[in-house]
Amino acid sequence: MSKGEDHELVARVVSAQDTAAFGELVRRHQSQVRNFLRKLAGDVTLADDLAQDCFMHAWDKLQTFSGRGTFIGWLLKVAYTTFLQSKRKSKRYAEILQEAGHAADMESRSHTMQSDEVTDLDKFLAVLSEEERAIMVMSYACGLSHREISDATEMPVGTVKSVIFRGKEKIRTSFDIKDHQHG
Amino acid sequence: MAERIKDAEDRLLESMFESAPVADDGFSVNVVRRLNRRLWLRRLTLPVGGAIGASVAVKPLTGLVKSLSGLVTLIPQDLLSTTTSLIPQAQTIVLGAMLLAAILLGMRALEE
Repeated sequence: MSKGEDHELVARVVSAQDTAAFGELVRRHQSQVRNFLRKLAGDVTLADDLAQDCFMHAWDKLQTFSGRGTFIGWLLKVAYTTFLQSKRKSKRYAEILQEAGHAADMESRSHTMQSDEVTDLDKFLAVLSEEERAIMVMSYACGLSHREISDATEMPVGTVKSVIFRGKEKIRTSFDIKDHQHG
Repeated sequence: MAERIKDAEDRLLESMFESAPVADDGFSVNVVRRLNRRLWLRRLTLPVGGAIGASVAVKPLTGLVKSLSGLVTLIPQDLLSTTTSLIPQAQTIVLGAMLLAAILLGMRALEE
């Protein structure tokens, strides 16, 4: 998955509205985007829906990709924005339902959405705030540099570093990660 | 991650955050299909909108043409008879030019 090939495909999409080239970009990066959103949303179906929306937004905004960084860095920025927008919408939806007296129904639904299978990673992610979770996932699961995370989250590099430091500290204090190191 | 030096803890966190690649299973095909559907809708929107707009605008447009043709009576008769004798279709040409200009302006506004 070379950077040059990605940029070539992007150029084809932007210049000729080539949906086949866009399909190739989706094929190349869907796994990372879906994994990223699954870790953020904690729900596979919701994450996959968000991933679809993310690629739709990516198609609309592709001409804004400057080509400076990696395409996956830019794509994860779109994915993160899509996630935050959906969060805002669902929060508003919950508020409307609550106003209409459906709070109990919503609560029971949110409980059934929780996965039965709770992994170690889920436990680690649970102690982090939403922002810390996004940044830690971008850094340790997607391998983005601090600069790329800074671009994706629109935060200064120094803030990104301190959020990562804080996240690591929380994981360290909440779990004895040395035990994991030795099995 | 060239800009930072990874220590043992970073490597451990990387291994903990690592997850198996997600199989495509038709995901990319679905995205492209949804995209094509949206592009088709966008392509249809302008002509359909134009057709609906035209059908709504037909009546007022006819009225406009009638009132414009009425304006011709305000032109001094001498001038009118001279022009008509020189170019028999002068009235139609003027009206046609005005209509064309209006249509072109409308099309441009729709495009924008």
